[in-house]
Amino acid sequence: MNTLYAVILAALVFYIGYRFYAQRIDKNIMQSDPRKATPARLYMDGVDFVPASRGVLYGYHFKSIAAAGPIVGAITAANLWGWLPSILWLLIGVTFIGWMSDYSAIMVSVRNDGESLSAIAHRLIAPRTRTILLVFIFFYLLLVAGAFGNIIVGVLFGQPQVPLAIVTLVIMGMLGGQMLYRWRTDLILMTLITVGVTLLVIIAGPLGMQVNPPATQGGAPTIVQGPVGQVMVGWNNAVNAITGGAPVISYFDPTLPLPADAPSGVAVANVRITPAFLFWLVFLSAFAYLGSILPIWRFAQPINYIGFWITFLTIVLASLGAALAVFIKPDVATLKIEAIKSADLGFSLAAGKAWQPLWPMLFATIACGAISGWHALIGSVGTSRQIENETDVLPVGGGSMFTEMTLGMLSLLAVSVAGQGVGVPAFANGVGNFLSVLGVPQHIGAALGFSSFVVIVITVFQLVIRVMRVTLAEGLGDRSQIFRNPHVGILISLVLMCLLVLSGIWVYLWQLFGSSNQLMASLSLLVVTVWLASTRRRTTFALIPTLFMYVTTMAATLVIARNLWETVVVPNSVRAGAGIAVGGAIAMILVSILLFVAAAMIGLDGWRAYRRYSGGAPEARTVPAQSTT
Amino acid sequence: MTSPRSAIKTRSGLLARLSGLAMSVKSFVYGMTAYEFERHALAERARLEDLFVLITLGDIIGVPILPPYYSLRLLPFAVPRLAAWKRRLLRERHVLENEEYDLIEL
Repeated sequence: MNTLYAVILAALVFYIGYRFYAQRIDKNIMQSDPRKATPARLYMDGVDFVPASRGVLYGYHFKSIAAAGPIVGAITAANLWGWLPSILWLLIGVTFIGWMSDYSAIMVSVRNDGESLSAIAHRLIAPRTRTILLVFIFFYLLLVAGAFGNIIVGVLFGQPQVPLAIVTLVIMGMLGGQMLYRWRTDLILMTLITVGVTLLVIIAGPLGMQVNPPATQGGAPTIVQGPVGQVMVGWNNAVNAITGGAPVISYFDPTLPLPADAPSGVAVANVRITPAFLFWLVFLSAFAYLGSILPIWRFAQPINYIGFWITFLTIVLASLGAALAVFIKPDVATLKIEAIKSADLGFSLAAGKAWQPLWPMLFATIACGAISGWHALIGSVGTSRQIENETDVLPVGGGSMFTEMTLGMLSLLAVSVAGQGVGVPAFANGVGNFLSVLGVPQHIGAALGFSSFVVIVITVFQLVIRVMRVTLAEGLGDRSQIFRNPHVGILISLVLMCLLVLSGIWVYLWQLFGSSNQLMASLSLLVVTVWLASTRRRTTFALIPTLFMYVTTMAATLVIARNLWETVVVPNSVRAGAGIAVGGAIAMILVSILLFVAAAMIGLDGWRAYRRYSGGAPEARTVPAQSTT
Repeated sequence: MTSPRSAIKTRSGLLARLSGLAMSVKSFVYGMTAYEFERHALAERARLEDLFVLITLGDIIGVPILPPYYSLRLLPFAVPRLAAWKRRLLRERHVLENEEYDLIEL
């Protein structure tokens, strides 16, 4: 198996799934009608309801959904189960579930006056659905903040050639906002200046860096930092000197390897939170604070824009490299990790060990490349109000999801060809390998991979904190005015995020986020299924994915709770200084139970509503649901 | 043998297709890049307009601020936009609509 075969396979699945399945559903079941007036044309207020052309909306929706999720999920899954199950889920999941989730969420919203999914659920299923969804959204955002925060701080701390690029990104972002909104500079000029300078600094980071081959077989390569990296290393050492190099917090993480000098069979502390790590956590918090409190045009939006360009260029060049590798550098094109990591697919259960069965955990780990609940929310709140024509919904919603699958595929291939490193370093090395096919030195390509990854994650992170603040105000603002204060909301969100970063085991955090994301997807599919039943349409194509995703993600939530208890709480509870890790694990267990209960309530209400509209219950309503068909 | 007329038709058909493809790519790139700035600029202007109309004609939704004399002077200019304004102000909003939801890429 090589990268060219994978690229061809992805293209084939895209074409066949879209042409022969998606278009059939759109034509025969949803019956999209170009003559029907959409909310964008009906209301056309020039702000929220604005008809946009298909091509523009496709680009807009794709950008809204494609970012860090498909990248991180694919990286993690490849490490846990190998490339083969991950590729299969990406391809099969998006063909039968993913595109349909995005597409139908937008279509249902279009057919219901542009209402959001939660408003439709409130009407069709039960009034309490809306409140439960709000709780869901908050904890979902908290988990993604914790998972992303963990990654960002890890890279800022562990990759000294990266932080300068982030500082430059901040400065260029603020300059970009000023140029565009206040000085009325041309967008192209603003882009060239801000993106150009940021790219130059990214490339300057690894200049002078030397990567020496490992001294022994199977060892790690030795890295000698260039001037930029050495400054950062010096800074980290100076901060660590506060405690004489001793860690502030330490605990045992079962998902990470033990230190080389650890006695065998003894779970010694392998996570050491040093003062330098805490410094970068504070740096990240300050970044998120600015992003949450300043006007969107001043900070968050231009930084997001610059970050998009950097990631876009990296992804496009890496994709080109992946396709051409087999002709130019065949060694790069070969997948180096196992197709299947273990023959039992993770199903064997041992007491005290993490349990990662393929089902249900793969489907929670690859959260966004195959299907995502967040996309359904975004689609129903924003995209649906800009749809000009019902026949645009499929290329915009379904097409974007199919295209996002290719992003997940690229991340998977990058990790698979890296040949060294695990997780984000593997992704960056893989991107470096792909860029080396185009003549870019490998270590510069890897630095670009690291930086583009951190850039994309950090820009999402600041906005997640922003929305957490808003959700807190929305949910608790009526009970206590203090939650309406933006500074209080941001502080609460940041403190919770920091607690998760310091105490959450990253793999479990990501999987819990993935579970909540997929649970949201199954809930949005549930709303779609109930709507289909209420309008007397065939429900099979939505009902089966709903049941599959619902059962799978509920099971994944329970597995994660079990893993947290067995591998974090129990071994660390007798260890001195591991209190924060135990506390974090217990908090995550409580969150997983809360999500489980919330999803169970919505599932029960949804099932009752489905039976009501499909006429299965004696008390079936005779009045159809209030919606345009 | 292909006649000159059909050759011209084929070439112009191909050119039209290529031109259409170029247009689609242009729209796609615009949608990914500049479109969010256009939307944000429109939203900012709309917020200011909403505030202005609320102050001048707020008694329509039960918020009397200005004396009716001034409201009546401005009424002829505001009438074309009143329906859209009322709908925008009074529409129930999802929690995600309050911030730039489309920038959160997950």
